[in-house]
Amino acid sequence: MGSAVTSHFIGKIFTEWGYYVFNYRDYPSLIRGGHNFNILKISDKPVYSHELKYDFILALDQKTVDVHKKDLRKGGIIFGAKETEPIVQKLQGPKILANNVLIGLLFKYFGVDLNILFAAAEKTFGKNADMVKKSIQEGYQLGSEKEKLKKLTAKCFISGTEGMGIGAIAAGMDIYLAYPMTPATPLLHFLAKRQLENNILVFQPENEIAAINAALGASFTGAKTMIGTSGGGFALMTEAFSLAGMAELPLVVYSSQRGAPSTGLATHTAQGDLKFAINAGHGEFPRIVLTPGDAQEAITRTQEAFYLASKYRIPVILLSDKHLAESDYTFDEIKKSPLGADRFILEDPPEDYKSYKITVNGVSPAAVPGQGPIVRANSYEHDEYGLTIEDAATTIKMQDKRFKKVAYLKKEINKLNPISVYGKGSNLLVSHGSTKGAILDALPQLKNFRFLQVSYLEPFPAEAVAKEIKKSKKVILVENSATGALADVIKEKTGIEIKNKILKYDGRPFTPDLLIYEIHSNLRGFRKSTHS
Amino acid sequence: MKPEDLKTTQTNTWCPGCPNFGILNSAKEALVELVNEGKLSAKDTALVAGIGCHGKIYDYLNLNGFNGLHGRVLPVCFGAKLGNPELTVVGFGGDGDTFDEGVSHFVHACRYNSDITMMVHVNQVFALTTGQANAITEKGFIDGSTPLGQGEKPINSVLLALEMGATFVARGYALQAPHLKEIMKKAITHKGFSYIDILQPCIVYHKHSVPYLSKNAYKLDETHDIGNFGQAIEKAREWEYSYEKDTKVPIGVFYEIERPTFESQWPQLKQPWHTIDRKPNWDNITREFK
Repeated sequence: MGSAVTSHFIGKIFTEWGYYVFNYRDYPSLIRGGHNFNILKISDKPVYSHELKYDFILALDQKTVDVHKKDLRKGGIIFGAKETEPIVQKLQGPKILANNVLIGLLFKYFGVDLNILFAAAEKTFGKNADMVKKSIQEGYQLGSEKEKLKKLTAKCFISGTEGMGIGAIAAGMDIYLAYPMTPATPLLHFLAKRQLENNILVFQPENEIAAINAALGASFTGAKTMIGTSGGGFALMTEAFSLAGMAELPLVVYSSQRGAPSTGLATHTAQGDLKFAINAGHGEFPRIVLTPGDAQEAITRTQEAFYLASKYRIPVILLSDKHLAESDYTFDEIKKSPLGADRFILEDPPEDYKSYKITVNGVSPAAVPGQGPIVRANSYEHDEYGLTIEDAATTIKMQDKRFKKVAYLKKEINKLNPISVYGKGSNLLVSHGSTKGAILDALPQLKNFRFLQVSYLEPFPAEAVAKEIKKSKKVILVENSATGALADVIKEKTGIEIKNKILKYDGRPFTPDLLIYEIHSNLRGFRKSTHS
Repeated sequence: MKPEDLKTTQTNTWCPGCPNFGILNSAKEALVELVNEGKLSAKDTALVAGIGCHGKIYDYLNLNGFNGLHGRVLPVCFGAKLGNPELTVVGFGGDGDTFDEGVSHFVHACRYNSDITMMVHVNQVFALTTGQANAITEKGFIDGSTPLGQGEKPINSVLLALEMGATFVARGYALQAPHLKEIMKKAITHKGFSYIDILQPCIVYHKHSVPYLSKNAYKLDETHDIGNFGQAIEKAREWEYSYEKDTKVPIGVFYEIERPTFESQWPQLKQPWHTIDRKPNWDNITREFK
């Protein structure tokens, strides 16, 4: 097992034993080797983030020890080559077996029964588990028991990507199209692997432009369709994103941010695409942009994305990032949104069906080719039948029709918790997306702070955000970006300026310690602090 | 069904005398004949068009239709088929649309062999934007964007389709409408990716191709073996889209073979998705996380 599989394996056993685990993954953009590590935080209380100080270092190689030893807590333990090498040699297996030896050592320390480890190995590796079990056993025998871990109620262990995936399946998705791009690719793999059992189709077309245009073709013929990519791929898709707006075709775009501009930091995290998401595409058309804050929200927000896309015939961007997509979270239970898997397609469309019928709320009831009446989708401005027009009066009528949806959307979104407020206090931290974890874990240690999480970035819940900000003394924006885009959006939508910003744009997510340090510095009078 | 039934209320804005009318009429007749022969259901047919003069056909054919972006006809056709494998999907593209902006999609459409028909209006110019050279324009052509003369040799689109694995490859001539109609009928009924290269000389920006093609176009006859790839390649190379000297221009079906379609290889593509009433089982989909 490599670092990612090993850490997930360890995390899964702890969560099955009822502990809360947060698993952070850090890897470079290469195929094998490099310095590749995970940080697990394990607790009997809920945790949503990792720390940069360790109690244990499990090292496959000496480099891991060299790099991380400085961050080992006093009394901390290192298991590494000294323990694993003799066993790997004895077993004459590949060097990677060392990770299994480390698993054995660790769980012996906590007094977890060897059979539990065997069962987990069999579950993960099936018939190929023999060598894994043998090496775990060797490590186990070498180690010594220092604690007896109590078994508590089992928990759910799930990554942001997996949340997005089960959200999509729960929402009744039919087709997922994606061209590989980190950190969106794990969703492509997750869904591809489960396509037959869920009767969905997962396909990787020739490029991102094909992905979105094919998705719109599929949406036109009645399939619930999602596409996935990261910022660079989404940049290629924007012409067709505008087409989705004009043709009023439901579409869910999963965009998982990474370090940018350009190719940027392929395997590291960032929140630098917020303004891109809310402005992507030429021309003016309504869209929805939402940002889940953890794996549980990934499920429900993805369901909401499909529901709203179909109901309002509108493109939706589900904005994630590497940190959310590739981190594992623990919850007592995982829940789904009460929103159903409706298709919002007329059962029996009238003979004189109009694809773009002007209605009170701007939403034309959808029909699909094959039902009987003629159905059209047009990238040119068009009349209610979808036929091309150029005249001024119809142009205004149709543009107004598309924007009429927004007022109704806003009402609907208000019922879906577009913002969340955590904690008590007169000061306020404001953020969105994956920073939620570190902020929630920092909050109990911050005096007098609330946390405002904005989950719908478009249409923007301006009134609710303004209300929270206005009743706060000190307001600080937290964002994994260089400029703090959410502050600009808040200013544009509410007129309120947030001057204090804690920004991080080194490709790495926030940790609670760092946030607490930065917030205290900020309170002492630093206006803006940044990290590299 | 009569061809008039496929007429829309839209005013036709192609130039008077444009060979596109020949394509439109052939398409109407081909579709109507297929419907009347019981080989096609009009309500289960969808057309996809790109952007350029050709794209206006979306407004002139009273069928389910998707008028998409410049260059992206093929991915939309492909997606329409993924969304509902029971539909007959017919794409209309321009040559600039298909072989400049969208050439990567063309290459892959030939590979995928999805059961769609692609008809490309080959006029060897970007006509709607006032006559710039495109990927099929002959060397030496002079226009607003290439005042020094087009320097590169054109793509041989028929040859490209053959080499990339299209399972039906034909060339028609818009000014020989009855012949074109027959090709269209064969292309639409072919299972797999069908490509028709339709010579559609632009009478404003590429006038010289009308007399040239009228003089040199000839129909492939029974001696041409459509199952013989080598012969198809030979015929495709007879004319390289050039006007330097008189060269015979073959029209007709160059090649047709059977290969499993994209759709036939996916067990999921058995019925239109919109007819499936999904009731996702929450316990099943979340079991692995507990």
